[in-house]
Amino acid sequence: MTQPAACTVRIASPLRSYTRGAAKVAADGATLSEVLADLDRRFPGIRFRMIDEQDAIRPHIRLYVESREVKSLSDPVAARETVHVICALSGG
Amino acid sequence: MRDSTLSASERSRYQRHLALAEIGPAGQTRLKAARVLVVGAGGLGSPAAMYLAAAGVGTLGIVDCDRVELSNLQRQLLFATADVGRLKTHAACEHLARLNPEIALEAHALELRAANAREVLENYDVILDGTDRLATRYLINDACVMLGKPLVSAAIHRFEGQVMTYVPGRGACYRCLYPEALEGVVANCAEAGVLGVLPGVLGAIQATEAVKLVTAVGEPLSGRLLTYDALEMTFREFPVERRADCAVCSERPSITMLADQGERCGTSLERVRRLAAAELLETLRCGAGSRGASNDRASDDRAAAGGSSAGIVLVDVREPHEFAIGRLEGSINIPIGDLPRRLVEIPRGATPIFLCRSGRRSLAACELALRGGIEAPAHLEGGLLAWAREIDSTFALD
Repeated sequence: MTQPAACTVRIASPLRSYTRGAAKVAADGATLSEVLADLDRRFPGIRFRMIDEQDAIRPHIRLYVESREVKSLSDPVAARETVHVICALSGG
Repeated sequence: MRDSTLSASERSRYQRHLALAEIGPAGQTRLKAARVLVVGAGGLGSPAAMYLAAAGVGTLGIVDCDRVELSNLQRQLLFATADVGRLKTHAACEHLARLNPEIALEAHALELRAANAREVLENYDVILDGTDRLATRYLINDACVMLGKPLVSAAIHRFEGQVMTYVPGRGACYRCLYPEALEGVVANCAEAGVLGVLPGVLGAIQATEAVKLVTAVGEPLSGRLLTYDALEMTFREFPVERRADCAVCSERPSITMLADQGERCGTSLERVRRLAAAELLETLRCGAGSRGASNDRASDDRAAAGGSSAGIVLVDVREPHEFAIGRLEGSINIPIGDLPRRLVEIPRGATPIFLCRSGRRSLAACELALRGGIEAPAHLEGGLLAWAREIDSTFALD
């Protein structure tokens, strides 16, 4: 069994207070669920800003692996792929 | 009905458009006949309106109920220092008329609400959303879907922006993109800051889309979300599909009438007690003796809140870094994004008074509290900005 390789997670601007301002962070996991769990270990609380109590993606958040929209947290994430966290913005 | 033929002066003014085979006299005539509405004369609306005026859009409407503030001038190029205090719509139309006296300008100095949105929007061919409120974004989207109007929606935050075009019957709408977003869950520019030139990029893209839609050239940004990161200087594009269950643009929409936020969510914001800064001070004095304002960082949050004899809990819903700079004594910090799961920390039977910087996030917190079964939440209207202005000028905000 090989260790899951790190992917890159691009953090939406409004969530960067959790990543000490970092726009891109590394996380491990073979599925989006695992990637987000690892992300939450590194940056406690960030997963809840994206995923609700029923494990559904919050309606003001969109998640993509590369340019594939994630519909389910069980969607696979390959090594060195980028997960994009996109958040509704309100500024004008 | 405006004369759609081009005058000699117009042929000269728009010569660089006329030289483009894709636009030419036919496209320019379409622009002259077009009616485009810019909602929000802010960072996005400024460049968008200026480019549309310069491009010769025959009738340009501007919606905004605010007055020009000094802090607007860092990015809102429609206004000059002498405009501070003036209605934005008036100052904007003056500026645009100087830029291009050949076009008609329509000022709508009003707040777009469910009661007036249809009436305002229905007279235009293309709508640009550059507002700074999520509730207004959904209202504009819903109205555009119902009226069958194309909408170019953009938004900004710090160093990032997003833009997408809705083409009726063709691509995803704003609710397909984000089915719901509560006001305050996402910080606005006043709270989070914004790079001044950022809306220039996004507003210019909005204007580009409007010109393309009017002249029917190119491929609209439909079904695609374009994101821009000024720090990385990268643009990315993400596909956005129509949702079969979209509340407004699907075959069986659940939203068939316009409504203001709060009404839509099934919560009644009328049940929210809105406290002016002086009322909050009075409430704190009556309820907790000597408790008042301070920037004291040493006291135990939880103990102070739990010890509230009046059954009042001050809940500051700002981000931890904002809370660390200055807070009301005895307040506890629950960032708005954590509030749904941390509502249990508010003692049963207590009345939470939510606080934030400007009063937006605290109002959103009231809505979340109502959804969570808290009967009568309150919030500080105008936020801690009002507190600093009216009660305690030493209160540290940023």
